[in-house]
Amino acid sequence: LAIEPVPESWARLGGRGLLARILLDEVSPTCEPLGPANKLIFAPGLMVGHMLSSCDRISIGAKSPLTGGVKEANAGGSTGLQLTRLGIHALILEERLGGELWLLHLSPAGARFESAEGLAGMGVYTAAERLRERYGKKVAIALIGPGGEMRLNSAGIQNLDKDGVPSRIAARGGLGALMGAKGLKAIVIDGSQGSTPPVESKEAFRKAQKEFTKALLAHPQTTVYADYGTAAMPRMSNGFGGLPTRNFSAGTFELVEKISGEYMRQVILERGGQGETTHACMAGCAIQCSNVYADQNGKSIVSPLEYETIGLLGPNLGIGDLDTIARLNWEINDLGLDTIEVGAALGVAAEAGTFTFGDGEAVLRLVGEIRQGTALGRVLGNGCVITGKVFGVEYVPAVKGQAMSAYEPRAIKGTGVTYATSPQGADHTCGLTIRAKVDHLDPKVQVALSRSTQINMAGYDTLGACLFAGFGFAAAAESIRDLLNARYGWNVGNDILQVLGRETISLEREFNRLAGFTTAQDRLPEWMTRQPLPPHNSVFDVAEEELDHIFDFGQ
Amino acid sequence: LGNDLIRVTVHLHTILQRPTPEGMLRQLDVRLAPGSTVGDLLVTLEVHLPVDALLLAVNGRVAEPDQTLQEGDTVNLMPAISGGTSIINPRVLLI
Repeated sequence: LAIEPVPESWARLGGRGLLARILLDEVSPTCEPLGPANKLIFAPGLMVGHMLSSCDRISIGAKSPLTGGVKEANAGGSTGLQLTRLGIHALILEERLGGELWLLHLSPAGARFESAEGLAGMGVYTAAERLRERYGKKVAIALIGPGGEMRLNSAGIQNLDKDGVPSRIAARGGLGALMGAKGLKAIVIDGSQGSTPPVESKEAFRKAQKEFTKALLAHPQTTVYADYGTAAMPRMSNGFGGLPTRNFSAGTFELVEKISGEYMRQVILERGGQGETTHACMAGCAIQCSNVYADQNGKSIVSPLEYETIGLLGPNLGIGDLDTIARLNWEINDLGLDTIEVGAALGVAAEAGTFTFGDGEAVLRLVGEIRQGTALGRVLGNGCVITGKVFGVEYVPAVKGQAMSAYEPRAIKGTGVTYATSPQGADHTCGLTIRAKVDHLDPKVQVALSRSTQINMAGYDTLGACLFAGFGFAAAAESIRDLLNARYGWNVGNDILQVLGRETISLEREFNRLAGFTTAQDRLPEWMTRQPLPPHNSVFDVAEEELDHIFDFGQ
Repeated sequence: LGNDLIRVTVHLHTILQRPTPEGMLRQLDVRLAPGSTVGDLLVTLEVHLPVDALLLAVNGRVAEPDQTLQEGDTVNLMPAISGGTSIINPRVLLI
């Protein structure tokens, strides 16, 4: 265990951008992802630590066990905030710990490893409860489930929400498998005796914070998010013919009404009890897009129930029942796995005839096989590409080994460009385009749209800002600049979001290049350029040459 | 007279749903004079959100308010940034 000063070239970055910088500086791009040379890195974003609404996210990264390339996955909850209260700019986990299972405890008194043997094989919900009993209710915890211990490539790292529930998952790219390979079950962060990070100019910071918060609260979208969350999306995607259905074979789902956010809100309100339509994942969040979905007796099934999970475990599997989706969500969370990757793997398995689309009980049994660690369960837990290979399925919805999220790239082609070209692999959070007022089927306008969106998103991920905080930042355009200058004593300009975004993507692409990636990996699966998608009967036809030049910055 | 009207199916999203005694209404058929536009539909439905704050889709494709509607069209009226995760910088739209 070593505490080191922050090198100059790392000080001006945080979150996703800092991860890419550290990976380039310290990790061999050709290393075996689950081997001892890979490092698991936790980096709070640049704005984290001040309870700015929706700006306390933690970025976690490594060379991805799933994609073999650069990886950043971020999450809300309290991990980012508490790390900054201990003055930690980045936490880098290096050598594999020997023997049994461990946990790392961080506090102002220092860092120590303790045995976590009693938690082996335990789901994240029970494990988090035990840890909170032992270390107190004020700690933040990042932990893995049985999936990470089994080193499944769909395993993520879960973080506690403001209520102590381990529901905020840095899900994508198999980072939980790496944590398992390091022999680490959990990181307990006790920042209660720590302190808020220093602010260079308190007055200017307070002023910028006030402007940002005011703009965020005044934005009409903040209310919509509070009421519907991301679950407003099924009907929108369906309306554009872009809701992935039955393993990405159609873009509309006949039962969309029963999985819609509008319907979900009604159900939560009618059932009452522990259900909540409006819920915050981070302390101090003004948006509160999260929810608690309860059963018919008002007992919580899962929190939150989000669009991507609804999409991949619902229409993608032919399932039109929120109760079933919520139960699947809880099980997959408890295993510590990414619902997108597992949902896509299950869709591929259904394509192969393992079960019939729409059979929720069969899906629950298959998820049970993951928990048991059977051969079939491990295949599914390793994601959709491995599942496709094992079952000989051509129609696998993935880029760079990572499953697509719930936007069909043949109907929302700008998001298809993002899937194809993001250094992260297929990931909507790297640049979603569905809300742009463009013809989503026109191949000619998508590259410029995806590029701008990807740059902005990489910027927000480097700040530690939730993408939804962007409403406030868009309405109070100078507040990002002012907050950073006040916090760090910098003198950055109004384009700092794009500056950070471009730098981040450039660093990530360099890591991938050194890892052996070429333009051949910046493509959607070939079948999506050939197989028409109903209802528009469209294929992905954005010119490959345009994809190859998307990040020629400065042109 | 009714035979001359065209009929379109409208999907109302999130805050545009209508409270009714039978519950929230989010899908309805609307009859309009031939030649009516999406903008006319918004007036008929008394949708008061500014057009900038709406995403309009006709038969699954993004539409402008001046687009003429045809018999049997499906229209989705969506508050512009409901759901999902990414924010479009306004400048992006000018490209």
